[in-house]
Amino acid sequence: MTALAKLTAVETKLLLREPGSLVSILIPLFFLVVFGASTPKDDTVLLPMGMSIAVGLIGLYLLPTTLAGYRERGILRRLSTTPVKPGNLLAVQLLLQLALLAAATALQLTVAGGVLGIQLPSRALPVAIACALGTAAMFAVGLLIAALAPNGRAANGIGVLLYFPMAYLAGLIQPVAQMPASLARVGEYTPLGAFRAGLAQAWTGQSPDLLPLILLAAYTVVISAIAARCFRWE
Amino acid sequence: MAVIEVANLRKTYSGRAVLEDVSFSVQEGEVFGILGPNGAGKTTTVECVEGLRRPDAGTIRVLGLDPVRDARALREDVGVQLQQTQLPENLKVGEALDLYASFYRAPRDWRELQEEWGLAELRRARFGKLSGGQRQRLFIALALVGDPKVVFLDELTTGLDPQARRSTWELVKRVRARGVTTVLVSHFMDEVEELCDRVAVIDRGTVVALDTPAGLVGADAGPQQMRFTLLADTDPVPLLSALPGITAVDRDGAHVTVHGTGDFATAVAARLAQEHLLVTDLRIDQRSLEDAFIALTGRPFDH
Repeated sequence: MTALAKLTAVETKLLLREPGSLVSILIPLFFLVVFGASTPKDDTVLLPMGMSIAVGLIGLYLLPTTLAGYRERGILRRLSTTPVKPGNLLAVQLLLQLALLAAATALQLTVAGGVLGIQLPSRALPVAIACALGTAAMFAVGLLIAALAPNGRAANGIGVLLYFPMAYLAGLIQPVAQMPASLARVGEYTPLGAFRAGLAQAWTGQSPDLLPLILLAAYTVVISAIAARCFRWE
Repeated sequence: MAVIEVANLRKTYSGRAVLEDVSFSVQEGEVFGILGPNGAGKTTTVECVEGLRRPDAGTIRVLGLDPVRDARALREDVGVQLQQTQLPENLKVGEALDLYASFYRAPRDWRELQEEWGLAELRRARFGKLSGGQRQRLFIALALVGDPKVVFLDELTTGLDPQARRSTWELVKRVRARGVTTVLVSHFMDEVEELCDRVAVIDRGTVVALDTPAGLVGADAGPQQMRFTLLADTDPVPLLSALPGITAVDRDGAHVTVHGTGDFATAVAARLAQEHLLVTDLRIDQRSLEDAFIALTGRPFDH
Protein backbone atom coordinates (compact mmCIF):
# COMPACT_ATOMS: atom_id res chain seq x y z
CA MET A 1 0.00 0.00 0.00
CA THR A 2 1.29 3.48 -0.77
CA ALA A 3 2.09 5.86 2.06
CA LEU A 4 -0.93 8.05 1.31
CA ALA A 5 -3.36 5.12 1.29
CA LYS A 6 -1.89 3.83 4.56
CA LEU A 7 -2.06 7.29 6.09
CA THR A 8 -5.73 7.56 5.09
CA ALA A 9 -6.50 4.12 6.51
CA VAL A 10 -4.78 4.88 9.83
CA GLU A 11 -6.33 8.34 10.15
CA THR A 12 -9.77 6.85 9.44
CA LYS A 13 -9.29 4.41 12.30
CA LEU A 14 -8.18 7.25 14.57
CA LEU A 15 -11.20 9.35 13.62
CA LEU A 16 -13.52 6.45 14.39
CA ARG A 17 -11.82 5.92 17.77
CA GLU A 18 -12.30 9.59 18.62
CA PRO A 19 -15.49 10.01 20.70
CA GLY A 20 -15.94 13.51 19.22
CA SER A 21 -16.74 11.95 15.84
CA LEU A 22 -19.63 9.98 17.24
CA VAL A 23 -20.86 13.02 19.18
CA SER A 24 -20.82 15.12 15.99
CA ILE A 25 -23.06 12.58 14.31
CA LEU A 26 -25.35 11.83 17.25
CA ILE A 27 -26.13 15.34 18.54
CA PRO A 28 -27.78 16.58 15.32
CA LEU A 29 -29.49 13.22 14.89
CA PHE A 30 -30.83 13.33 18.44
CA PHE A 31 -32.09 16.86 17.79
CA LEU A 32 -33.80 15.73 14.60
CA VAL A 33 -35.51 12.72 16.18
CA VAL A 34 -36.68 14.57 19.30
CA PHE A 35 -38.25 17.49 17.43
CA GLY A 36 -39.01 15.63 14.22
CA ALA A 37 -41.48 13.26 15.87
CA SER A 38 -44.00 16.04 16.41
CA THR A 39 -43.29 18.13 13.34
CA PRO A 40 -45.60 18.44 10.30
CA LYS A 41 -44.52 16.47 7.23
CA ASP A 42 -43.99 19.62 5.16
CA ASP A 43 -41.56 21.17 7.68
CA THR A 44 -38.69 23.09 6.07
CA VAL A 45 -36.93 24.31 9.24
CA LEU A 46 -35.80 21.24 11.13
CA LEU A 47 -33.47 19.53 8.68
CA PRO A 48 -31.56 22.70 7.70
CA MET A 49 -31.08 23.28 11.46
CA GLY A 50 -29.86 19.74 12.04
CA MET A 51 -27.48 19.87 9.09
CA SER A 52 -26.13 23.24 10.25
CA ILE A 53 -25.51 21.82 13.73
CA ALA A 54 -23.43 19.00 12.21
CA VAL A 55 -21.39 21.46 10.12
CA GLY A 56 -20.89 23.70 13.17
CA LEU A 57 -19.77 20.86 15.46
CA ILE A 58 -17.33 19.35 12.98
CA GLY A 59 -16.01 22.64 11.59
CA LEU A 60 -15.68 24.53 14.87
CA TYR A 61 -14.84 21.73 17.24
CA LEU A 62 -13.60 18.47 15.76
CA LEU A 63 -11.45 19.81 12.90
CA PRO A 64 -9.49 22.50 14.79
CA THR A 65 -9.04 20.32 17.89
CA THR A 66 -7.59 17.51 15.80
CA LEU A 67 -5.27 19.71 13.73
CA ALA A 68 -4.01 21.85 16.63
CA GLY A 69 -3.46 18.64 18.63
CA TYR A 70 -1.34 17.19 15.83
CA ARG A 71 0.81 20.28 15.80
CA GLU A 72 1.04 20.45 19.61
CA ARG A 73 2.09 16.81 19.85
CA GLY A 74 4.86 17.39 17.30
CA ILE A 75 3.29 14.92 14.88
CA LEU A 76 3.55 17.34 11.96
CA ARG A 77 7.19 17.99 12.79
CA ARG A 78 7.97 14.31 13.17
CA LEU A 79 6.39 13.72 9.78
CA SER A 80 8.54 16.38 8.17
CA THR A 81 11.62 14.28 9.02
CA THR A 82 10.24 11.43 6.89
CA PRO A 83 9.89 11.33 3.09
CA VAL A 84 6.17 12.15 3.53
CA LYS A 85 5.29 15.85 3.72
CA PRO A 86 3.20 16.91 6.74
CA GLY A 87 0.81 18.72 4.36
CA ASN A 88 -0.39 15.27 3.32
CA LEU A 89 -1.62 14.62 6.84
CA LEU A 90 -3.58 17.89 6.88
CA ALA A 91 -5.12 17.09 3.49
CA VAL A 92 -6.09 13.58 4.61
CA GLN A 93 -7.63 14.93 7.83
CA LEU A 94 -9.59 17.58 5.93
CA LEU A 95 -10.98 14.97 3.53
CA LEU A 96 -11.89 12.60 6.36
CA GLN A 97 -13.72 15.28 8.30
CA LEU A 98 -15.60 16.13 5.12
CA ALA A 99 -16.48 12.45 4.77
CA LEU A 100 -17.65 12.38 8.39
CA LEU A 101 -19.84 15.41 7.73
CA ALA A 102 -21.23 13.78 4.59
CA ALA A 103 -22.04 10.68 6.63
CA ALA A 104 -23.73 12.76 9.36
CA THR A 105 -25.78 14.62 6.72
CA ALA A 106 -26.73 11.48 4.82
CA LEU A 107 -27.83 9.85 8.07
CA GLN A 108 -30.05 12.82 8.91
CA LEU A 109 -31.60 12.88 5.45
CA THR A 110 -32.27 9.15 5.61
CA VAL A 111 -33.83 9.30 9.06
CA ALA A 112 -35.86 12.43 8.22
CA GLY A 113 -37.09 11.12 4.88
CA GLY A 114 -37.35 7.43 5.65
CA VAL A 115 -38.31 7.21 9.32
CA LEU A 116 -39.94 10.52 10.19
CA GLY A 117 -41.52 10.99 6.78
CA ILE A 118 -40.46 14.61 6.49
CA GLN A 119 -40.63 15.91 2.94
CA LEU A 120 -37.22 16.36 1.29
CA PRO A 121 -36.63 19.11 -1.27
CA SER A 122 -37.40 18.09 -4.83
CA ARG A 123 -34.41 19.87 -6.33
CA ALA A 124 -31.08 18.63 -5.02
CA LEU A 125 -28.72 21.06 -6.73
CA PRO A 126 -29.52 24.24 -4.74
CA VAL A 127 -29.20 22.19 -1.51
CA ALA A 128 -25.86 20.77 -2.66
CA ILE A 129 -24.53 24.24 -3.54
CA ALA A 130 -25.59 25.66 -0.18
CA CYS A 131 -24.04 22.66 1.60
CA ALA A 132 -20.77 22.99 -0.27
CA LEU A 133 -20.41 26.72 0.40
CA GLY A 134 -21.54 26.46 4.02
CA THR A 135 -19.14 23.60 4.72
CA ALA A 136 -16.29 25.49 3.06
CA ALA A 137 -16.96 28.60 5.16
CA MET A 138 -17.21 26.72 8.46
CA PHE A 139 -14.14 24.59 7.72
CA ALA A 140 -12.27 27.82 6.97
CA VAL A 141 -13.24 29.06 10.44
CA GLY A 142 -12.05 25.74 11.85
CA LEU A 143 -8.72 26.05 10.06
CA LEU A 144 -8.32 29.58 11.41
CA ILE A 145 -8.90 28.30 14.96
CA ALA A 146 -6.34 25.54 14.32
CA ALA A 147 -3.88 28.12 13.02
CA LEU A 148 -4.26 30.50 15.97
CA ALA A 149 -4.70 28.12 18.91
CA PRO A 150 -1.44 27.32 20.70
CA ASN A 151 -2.55 23.74 21.45
CA GLY A 152 -5.34 21.21 21.15
CA ARG A 153 -7.03 22.18 24.39
CA ALA A 154 -7.08 25.85 23.46
CA ALA A 155 -8.52 24.97 20.05
CA ASN A 156 -11.19 22.95 21.80
CA GLY A 157 -11.97 25.87 24.13
CA ILE A 158 -12.14 28.42 21.31
CA GLY A 159 -14.34 26.07 19.28
CA VAL A 160 -16.79 25.59 22.13
CA LEU A 161 -16.80 29.32 22.94
CA LEU A 162 -17.54 30.18 19.32
CA TYR A 163 -20.06 27.42 18.77
CA PHE A 164 -22.76 28.58 21.15
CA PRO A 165 -23.03 32.25 20.11
CA MET A 166 -22.72 31.28 16.46
CA ALA A 167 -25.32 28.55 16.82
CA TYR A 168 -27.66 30.92 18.65
CA LEU A 169 -27.29 33.71 16.07
CA ALA A 170 -27.77 31.17 13.29
CA GLY A 171 -31.06 30.13 14.83
CA LEU A 172 -29.94 26.64 15.78
CA ILE A 173 -30.73 26.91 19.49
CA GLN A 174 -34.01 28.75 19.07
CA PRO A 175 -35.80 28.84 15.68
CA VAL A 176 -35.31 32.16 13.88
CA ALA A 177 -39.05 32.90 14.06
CA GLN A 178 -38.87 33.01 17.87
CA MET A 179 -35.70 35.13 18.05
CA PRO A 180 -35.64 38.90 18.52
CA ALA A 181 -35.81 40.32 15.00
CA SER A 182 -32.60 42.34 15.33
CA LEU A 183 -30.56 39.34 16.45
CA ALA A 184 -32.04 37.17 13.72
CA ARG A 185 -31.06 39.85 11.21
CA VAL A 186 -27.48 39.99 12.51
CA GLY A 187 -27.37 36.19 12.54
CA GLU A 188 -27.97 36.00 8.82
CA TYR A 189 -24.61 37.64 8.26
CA THR A 190 -22.63 35.13 10.34
CA PRO A 191 -21.15 32.14 8.48
CA LEU A 192 -23.34 29.57 10.23
CA GLY A 193 -26.43 31.82 9.95
CA ALA A 194 -25.85 32.43 6.27
CA PHE A 195 -25.52 28.69 5.80
CA ARG A 196 -28.77 27.90 7.60
CA ALA A 197 -30.56 30.68 5.71
CA GLY A 198 -29.20 29.55 2.34
CA LEU A 199 -30.09 25.97 3.12
CA ALA A 200 -33.60 26.87 4.27
CA GLN A 201 -34.19 28.77 1.02
CA ALA A 202 -32.98 25.85 -1.05
CA TRP A 203 -35.36 23.69 0.98
CA THR A 204 -38.49 25.68 0.27
CA GLY A 205 -37.65 25.75 -3.42
CA GLN A 206 -38.31 29.46 -3.73
CA SER A 207 -36.10 31.39 -6.11
CA PRO A 208 -32.94 31.69 -4.06
CA ASP A 209 -31.71 34.92 -2.59
CA LEU A 210 -28.04 34.95 -3.56
CA LEU A 211 -26.88 36.99 -0.57
CA PRO A 212 -26.25 34.06 1.84
CA LEU A 213 -24.34 32.16 -0.83
CA ILE A 214 -22.20 35.18 -1.73
CA LEU A 215 -21.52 35.77 1.95
CA LEU A 216 -20.44 32.17 2.43
CA ALA A 217 -18.11 32.30 -0.57
CA ALA A 218 -16.58 35.55 0.70
CA TYR A 219 -16.14 34.11 4.22
CA THR A 220 -14.44 31.04 2.75
CA VAL A 221 -11.95 33.01 0.69
CA VAL A 222 -11.07 35.61 3.32
CA ILE A 223 -10.93 33.35 6.38
CA SER A 224 -9.01 30.52 4.72
CA ALA A 225 -6.50 33.05 3.37
CA ILE A 226 -5.92 34.38 6.91
CA ALA A 227 -5.70 30.81 8.25
CA ALA A 228 -3.11 29.84 5.64
CA ARG A 229 -1.08 32.93 6.47
CA CYS A 230 -1.18 32.31 10.23
CA PHE A 231 -0.69 28.55 10.15
CA ARG A 232 2.45 27.29 11.87
CA TRP A 233 3.81 23.80 11.46
CA GLU A 234 5.29 23.76 14.96
CA MET B 1 34.57 8.36 6.04
CA ALA B 2 32.78 11.37 7.44
CA VAL B 3 29.01 10.83 7.36
CA ILE B 4 28.22 14.27 8.73
CA GLU B 5 30.28 17.38 8.21
CA VAL B 6 29.31 20.63 9.86
CA ALA B 7 31.38 23.75 9.37
CA ASN B 8 31.00 27.20 10.94
CA LEU B 9 27.31 26.88 11.67
CA ARG B 10 25.57 30.09 12.73
CA LYS B 11 21.97 30.64 13.69
CA THR B 12 20.32 33.74 15.10
CA TYR B 13 16.80 34.02 16.46
CA SER B 14 15.45 37.57 16.52
CA GLY B 15 18.88 39.11 17.01
CA ARG B 16 20.07 36.60 19.60
CA ALA B 17 22.83 34.28 18.38
CA VAL B 18 21.91 30.73 19.39
CA LEU B 19 24.77 29.19 17.45
CA GLU B 20 27.92 31.24 17.14
CA ASP B 21 30.30 28.90 15.38
CA VAL B 22 29.71 25.18 15.44
CA SER B 23 31.90 22.73 13.51
CA PHE B 24 32.32 18.99 13.85
CA SER B 25 32.29 15.84 11.79
CA VAL B 26 30.86 12.42 12.50
CA GLN B 27 32.53 9.27 11.20
CA GLU B 28 30.71 6.27 9.82
CA GLY B 29 29.50 3.84 12.46
CA GLU B 30 30.32 5.94 15.50
CA VAL B 31 28.07 7.15 18.27
CA PHE B 32 28.67 10.87 18.39
CA GLY B 33 27.50 12.80 21.42
CA ILE B 34 26.40 16.42 21.50
CA LEU B 35 26.56 17.46 25.11
CA GLY B 36 25.73 20.71 26.79
CA PRO B 37 23.44 22.34 29.31
CA ASN B 38 19.87 23.25 28.40
CA GLY B 39 19.79 26.19 26.02
CA ALA B 40 23.37 25.65 24.83
CA GLY B 41 22.24 25.19 21.23
CA LYS B 42 22.34 21.38 20.98
CA THR B 43 18.87 20.90 19.60
CA THR B 44 19.19 23.84 17.21
CA THR B 45 22.40 22.26 15.93
CA VAL B 46 20.86 18.86 15.24
CA GLU B 47 17.72 20.42 13.80
CA CYS B 48 19.89 22.26 11.29
CA VAL B 49 21.67 18.99 10.49
CA GLU B 50 18.32 17.21 10.13
CA GLY B 51 17.17 19.91 7.70
CA LEU B 52 14.34 21.11 9.95
CA ARG B 53 15.98 24.51 10.33
CA ARG B 54 17.95 26.59 7.89
CA PRO B 55 21.20 27.94 9.32
CA ASP B 56 22.09 31.60 8.77
CA ALA B 57 25.62 30.69 7.78
CA GLY B 58 27.90 27.66 7.52
CA THR B 59 27.78 24.44 5.56
CA ILE B 60 26.31 21.07 6.44
CA ARG B 61 26.74 17.82 4.55
CA VAL B 62 25.00 14.64 5.57
CA LEU B 63 25.98 11.60 3.48
CA GLY B 64 27.39 14.17 1.07
CA LEU B 65 24.03 15.96 0.69
CA ASP B 66 22.72 19.34 1.79
CA PRO B 67 19.95 18.72 4.36
CA VAL B 68 17.78 21.60 3.12
CA ARG B 69 18.35 21.45 -0.64
CA ASP B 70 18.45 17.64 -0.90
CA ALA B 71 15.85 17.03 1.80
CA ARG B 72 13.82 14.56 -0.24
CA ALA B 73 16.73 12.26 -1.02
CA LEU B 74 18.18 12.53 2.46
CA ARG B 75 15.02 11.68 4.40
CA GLU B 76 15.12 8.14 3.02
CA ASP B 77 18.46 7.57 4.76
CA VAL B 78 18.07 9.52 7.98
CA GLY B 79 16.09 8.41 11.01
CA VAL B 80 15.05 10.89 13.66
CA GLN B 81 13.76 10.75 17.19
CA LEU B 82 12.72 14.26 18.13
CA GLN B 83 12.67 15.74 21.58
CA GLN B 84 9.14 16.01 22.99
CA THR B 85 7.27 14.35 20.17
CA GLN B 86 4.20 12.30 20.73
CA LEU B 87 1.88 10.22 18.63
CA PRO B 88 -1.92 10.30 18.58
CA GLU B 89 -3.25 8.84 21.86
CA ASN B 90 -5.32 6.22 20.09
CA LEU B 91 -2.69 5.04 17.62
CA LYS B 92 -1.63 1.45 18.32
CA VAL B 93 2.02 0.42 18.41
CA GLY B 94 1.73 -1.96 15.44
CA GLU B 95 -0.17 0.63 13.40
CA ALA B 96 2.47 3.27 14.04
CA LEU B 97 5.29 0.98 12.86
CA ASP B 98 3.31 -0.18 9.83
CA LEU B 99 2.42 3.43 8.93
CA TYR B 100 5.94 4.81 9.27
CA ALA B 101 7.37 1.87 7.33
CA SER B 102 5.08 2.78 4.42
CA PHE B 103 6.70 6.23 4.19
CA TYR B 104 10.03 4.80 2.97
CA ARG B 105 11.04 3.27 -0.34
CA ALA B 106 13.09 0.48 1.23
CA PRO B 107 11.94 0.12 4.84
CA ARG B 108 12.88 -2.62 7.25
CA ASP B 109 10.33 -5.30 8.00
CA TRP B 110 8.34 -3.55 10.73
CA ARG B 111 7.19 -6.81 12.29
CA GLU B 112 10.80 -7.88 12.68
CA LEU B 113 11.62 -4.50 14.22
CA GLN B 114 8.62 -4.83 16.52
CA GLU B 115 9.97 -8.18 17.68
CA GLU B 116 13.51 -6.90 18.02
CA TRP B 117 12.53 -3.97 20.24
CA GLY B 118 10.26 -5.99 22.48
CA LEU B 119 7.15 -4.29 21.18
CA ALA B 120 5.39 -7.39 19.83
CA GLU B 121 3.29 -7.95 22.92
CA LEU B 122 2.42 -4.23 22.91
CA ARG B 123 1.36 -4.12 19.25
CA ARG B 124 -2.31 -3.63 20.13
CA ALA B 125 -1.55 -1.16 22.91
CA ARG B 126 -2.50 2.44 22.27
CA PHE B 127 0.22 5.08 22.45
CA GLY B 128 -1.60 6.89 25.27
CA LYS B 129 -1.33 3.80 27.48
CA LEU B 130 2.43 3.25 27.07
CA SER B 131 4.95 3.99 29.82
CA GLY B 132 7.79 6.43 29.22
CA GLY B 133 10.27 3.65 28.57
CA GLN B 134 7.90 1.87 26.18
CA ARG B 135 7.35 5.10 24.27
CA GLN B 136 11.09 5.61 23.88
CA ARG B 137 11.42 2.06 22.60
CA LEU B 138 8.73 2.78 20.03
CA PHE B 139 10.36 6.09 19.04
CA ILE B 140 13.72 4.42 18.47
CA ALA B 141 12.03 1.69 16.44
CA LEU B 142 10.25 4.36 14.38
CA ALA B 143 13.54 6.16 13.82
CA LEU B 144 15.00 2.89 12.49
CA VAL B 145 12.05 1.69 10.43
CA GLY B 146 13.26 3.38 7.25
CA ASP B 147 16.54 1.42 7.53
CA PRO B 148 18.55 4.65 7.90
CA LYS B 149 22.29 5.09 7.58
CA VAL B 150 22.26 7.88 10.18
CA VAL B 151 20.00 8.21 13.18
CA PHE B 152 19.50 11.21 15.48
CA LEU B 153 18.40 10.64 19.05
CA ASP B 154 17.53 13.83 20.93
CA GLU B 155 17.26 13.74 24.73
CA LEU B 156 16.33 10.12 24.69
CA THR B 157 16.21 9.52 28.42
CA THR B 158 14.90 12.82 29.76
CA GLY B 159 12.02 12.12 32.11
CA LEU B 160 12.74 8.41 32.47
CA ASP B 161 13.37 6.72 35.79
CA PRO B 162 16.91 5.37 36.37
CA GLN B 163 16.01 1.81 35.43
CA ALA B 164 14.32 2.84 32.18
CA ARG B 165 17.34 5.04 31.38
CA ARG B 166 19.68 2.07 31.81
CA SER B 167 17.59 -0.12 29.52
CA THR B 168 17.36 2.68 26.94
CA TRP B 169 21.16 2.82 26.97
CA GLU B 170 21.23 -0.86 26.09
CA LEU B 171 18.99 -0.07 23.11
CA VAL B 172 21.40 2.58 21.86
CA LYS B 173 24.22 0.06 22.10
CA ARG B 174 22.17 -2.28 19.93
CA VAL B 175 21.64 0.43 17.31
CA ARG B 176 25.35 0.97 17.26
CA ALA B 177 26.01 -2.75 16.96
CA ARG B 178 24.01 -2.70 13.72
CA GLY B 179 26.52 -0.19 12.36
CA VAL B 180 24.11 2.75 12.16
CA THR B 181 25.89 6.05 12.64
CA THR B 182 24.25 7.69 15.64
CA VAL B 183 24.13 11.28 16.83
CA LEU B 184 23.07 11.41 20.46
CA VAL B 185 22.01 14.72 21.97
CA SER B 186 22.05 14.77 25.72
CA HIS B 187 22.48 16.93 28.77
CA PHE B 188 23.40 13.91 30.88
CA MET B 189 27.10 13.45 31.47
CA ASP B 190 26.82 9.80 32.49
CA GLU B 191 24.84 8.96 29.38
CA VAL B 192 27.42 10.44 27.05
CA GLU B 193 30.28 8.83 28.97
CA GLU B 194 28.58 5.44 28.72
CA LEU B 195 27.50 5.50 25.10
CA CYS B 196 29.54 7.83 22.93
CA ASP B 197 32.72 7.27 20.96
CA ARG B 198 33.31 10.99 20.68
CA VAL B 199 31.64 14.01 22.17
CA ALA B 200 31.25 17.63 21.13
CA VAL B 201 30.67 19.79 24.17
CA ILE B 202 28.53 22.79 23.21
CA ASP B 203 28.21 25.80 25.45
CA ARG B 204 26.61 29.11 24.53
CA GLY B 205 26.47 28.26 20.86
CA THR B 206 30.06 27.15 20.38
CA VAL B 207 31.90 23.86 20.51
CA VAL B 208 34.17 24.20 23.54
CA ALA B 209 35.67 20.72 23.27
CA LEU B 210 35.60 17.71 20.98
CA ASP B 211 37.18 14.45 22.04
CA THR B 212 36.50 10.94 23.31
CA PRO B 213 34.82 10.92 26.75
CA ALA B 214 38.04 9.57 28.27
CA GLY B 215 40.06 12.18 26.41
CA LEU B 216 37.80 14.96 27.67
CA VAL B 217 38.19 13.80 31.23
CA GLY B 218 41.93 13.30 30.79
CA ALA B 219 42.65 16.43 28.80
CA ASP B 220 42.11 18.67 31.74
CA ALA B 221 42.98 16.09 34.30
CA GLY B 222 44.19 17.96 37.28
CA PRO B 223 45.29 16.11 40.37
CA GLN B 224 43.13 13.29 41.56
CA GLN B 225 42.85 11.76 44.99
CA MET B 226 42.85 8.32 46.49
CA ARG B 227 41.90 7.88 50.11
CA PHE B 228 42.02 4.90 52.45
CA THR B 229 42.48 3.87 56.03
CA LEU B 230 45.42 1.61 56.85
CA LEU B 231 44.69 -1.31 59.12
CA ALA B 232 48.38 -1.84 60.01
CA ASP B 233 50.46 0.64 61.90
CA THR B 234 52.92 1.33 59.10
CA ASP B 235 54.11 4.61 57.65
CA PRO B 236 52.99 4.48 54.00
CA VAL B 237 54.72 7.67 52.90
CA PRO B 238 58.13 6.16 52.01
CA LEU B 239 56.43 3.22 50.32
CA LEU B 240 54.21 5.25 48.06
CA SER B 241 55.76 8.61 47.35
CA ALA B 242 58.28 7.20 44.88
CA LEU B 243 55.62 5.52 42.71
CA PRO B 244 55.01 6.96 39.22
CA GLY B 245 52.37 9.65 38.89
CA ILE B 246 52.19 10.45 42.59
CA THR B 247 52.55 14.05 43.60
CA ALA B 248 51.98 13.89 47.34
CA VAL B 249 51.08 11.52 50.16
CA ASP B 250 49.38 12.93 53.27
CA ARG B 251 48.91 10.99 56.44
CA ASP B 252 46.64 11.75 59.39
CA GLY B 253 47.01 8.83 61.78
CA ALA B 254 45.71 5.82 59.89
CA HIS B 255 43.94 7.96 57.26
CA VAL B 256 45.99 8.33 54.10
CA THR B 257 45.36 10.59 51.12
CA VAL B 258 47.39 10.04 47.95
CA HIS B 259 47.45 12.78 45.29
CA GLY B 260 48.46 11.95 41.78
CA THR B 261 47.75 12.07 38.08
CA GLY B 262 47.01 9.44 35.47
CA ASP B 263 46.66 5.82 36.52
CA PHE B 264 48.43 6.18 39.85
CA ALA B 265 45.71 4.38 41.79
CA THR B 266 46.60 1.04 40.20
CA ALA B 267 50.25 1.49 41.19
CA VAL B 268 49.26 2.32 44.76
CA ALA B 269 46.98 -0.71 45.02
CA ALA B 270 49.68 -3.00 43.62
CA ARG B 271 52.27 -1.68 46.05
CA LEU B 272 49.97 -2.08 49.05
CA ALA B 273 49.18 -5.66 48.01
CA GLN B 274 52.85 -6.40 47.59
CA GLU B 275 53.50 -5.26 51.17
CA HIS B 276 50.44 -7.22 52.40
CA LEU B 277 49.01 -4.02 53.83
CA LEU B 278 45.27 -4.21 54.35
CA VAL B 279 43.23 -1.06 53.84
CA THR B 280 39.62 -0.12 54.39
CA ASP B 281 37.33 2.80 53.34
CA LEU B 282 39.10 2.96 49.98
CA ARG B 283 37.84 5.84 47.83
CA ILE B 284 39.08 7.18 44.53
CA ASP B 285 37.83 10.60 43.59
CA GLN B 286 37.68 10.17 39.88
CA ARG B 287 37.14 13.09 37.63
CA SER B 288 34.03 12.90 35.54
CA LEU B 289 32.89 14.71 32.43
CA GLU B 290 31.13 17.02 34.82
CA ASP B 291 34.47 18.11 36.25
CA ALA B 292 35.81 18.40 32.72
CA PHE B 293 32.92 20.67 31.81
CA ILE B 294 33.65 22.95 34.74
CA ALA B 295 37.30 23.02 33.72
CA LEU B 296 36.36 23.84 30.12
CA THR B 297 33.76 26.51 30.70
CA GLY B 298 34.66 27.80 34.12
CA ARG B 299 31.17 27.26 35.45
CA PRO B 300 29.12 24.37 36.76
CA PHE B 301 26.98 22.28 34.50
CA ASP B 302 23.43 23.08 35.45
CA HIS B 303 20.76 20.80 34.04
